[in-house]
Amino acid sequence: MLITTTSSVDGKPVQEYLGVINAQSIIGANIFKDIFAGLRDVFGGRSKTYEKVLEQAKEDALRELTQKAQSMGANGILGVDLDFETIGSGGSMLMVIATGTAVRL
Amino acid sequence: MKSYFGLYKNNNIVEPIEATVLVFDTSLSIGFRTITGINEMEGWLIKDITYQYNPSAGETVIRTTKHTGAVLVIAGNEAATFLKTVKEENEKPWHKKNKGKEWIRNGLLALGIVSIIFLLYLLIVPWLSEKLASSVSEKTEQQLGDAVYNGMQLSSQEDTAASNVLNHFFQAMKVQSAYDIRITVVNDNVVNAFALPGGRIVIYSALLKQVESYPELAALLSHEFTHVNNKHSTKSIFRKLGSKIFVWLLFGRFGNVASVLVNHADDLKSLKYSRSLEKEADIEGLQILMQRKIDTKGFEKLFWHLKKASPESSLPTFFASHPDLDDRIEYINKEGKNAEVAENSILKTIFEQIK
Repeated sequence: MLITTTSSVDGKPVQEYLGVINAQSIIGANIFKDIFAGLRDVFGGRSKTYEKVLEQAKEDALRELTQKAQSMGANGILGVDLDFETIGSGGSMLMVIATGTAVRL
Repeated sequence: MKSYFGLYKNNNIVEPIEATVLVFDTSLSIGFRTITGINEMEGWLIKDITYQYNPSAGETVIRTTKHTGAVLVIAGNEAATFLKTVKEENEKPWHKKNKGKEWIRNGLLALGIVSIIFLLYLLIVPWLSEKLASSVSEKTEQQLGDAVYNGMQLSSQEDTAASNVLNHFFQAMKVQSAYDIRITVVNDNVVNAFALPGGRIVIYSALLKQVESYPELAALLSHEFTHVNNKHSTKSIFRKLGSKIFVWLLFGRFGNVASVLVNHADDLKSLKYSRSLEKEADIEGLQILMQRKIDTKGFEKLFWHLKKASPESSLPTFFASHPDLDDRIEYINKEGKNAEVAENSILKTIFEQIK
């Protein structure tokens, strides 16, 4: 599966557009990650704990997007866009929305 | 997850067809379009597959034991390397689930985590806070106490003459301390007294008026002095601060309802601590009286005045910042039962100056 943020792929023209697909992943950092991230907030510095959660959410969303594309018979996803939002009370959860166009190249 | 392009063939497909292959942690998904234009998907479990890299052809051949005749061919050895990694990972003992015991393990884990949180909250955080409070210098405490005193704007109501007499009285008690004890009498109809960090003791005139003998005054001052000398106010501030930070880190993000509940529980815990400090101040204050042969009944009389001044509370003890007055009278009488008593003419003379 070819996944790209561009609208076309060099040397591989689009044979068929299968439609816009999207996938979302909503993930909450656990209580200990919140504590360590809270300490980082107080003392400053990079929060690896939250970075890992963000990476996990992004991977989950892209995996789901790829599965949807595969089930439609696509072999590529063009124009992939990732949006990041915080949801829940106090913005305690993270939402990643992956959007793209499933195509056959 | 990794994705590959490959060629797929099974018993129903004569010619190999192009397929997209997604390799997950425990499964592999093959998507392909048949010559009739129908999209089809097939899923294989990683534990059922066999793979082999064929160097001469430069391709990885993957098969499943569940579907004989089905073959997936992926160019290069990258897929073989990745499948090897995934299979090895799946072989690790923590991936072998025992469903029957899983909920017991998870339950014990949750119980362990909750126990650790409670241990931190009930023992470690207060201990650490008190350690920090103990390391605060007398000078810093004095600055803190003065800042609080100035913030309360009590100096305009001070009865300077009475303050001087009380300071003279306390000096005559000859109590050794690293703190510079400064007693202030404030004109107010509140029957109360309190100690601030660093040596400042505030006595309200309404309470002072009710004091009828020098042992009562000595009991009051020795109680408040113990609060100062044992850093009770500083320890309370640090404990409160430590608990609040801990609770905020744990529950601050869980919305208002949880935060309010936990904060109220935390307040009840600090009230319990406050009662223990009051008892400590009573007992150590009593010892100051006993060492100077001052009548320990002074404490009892003082408590009776407080009891008269405060209306009967219907709240249970655990909602109060001080121990129940009847309990205080009981343990003071018990501790001071065999105390020696001798008239102290110096203290008596000084006390008569305010009457």
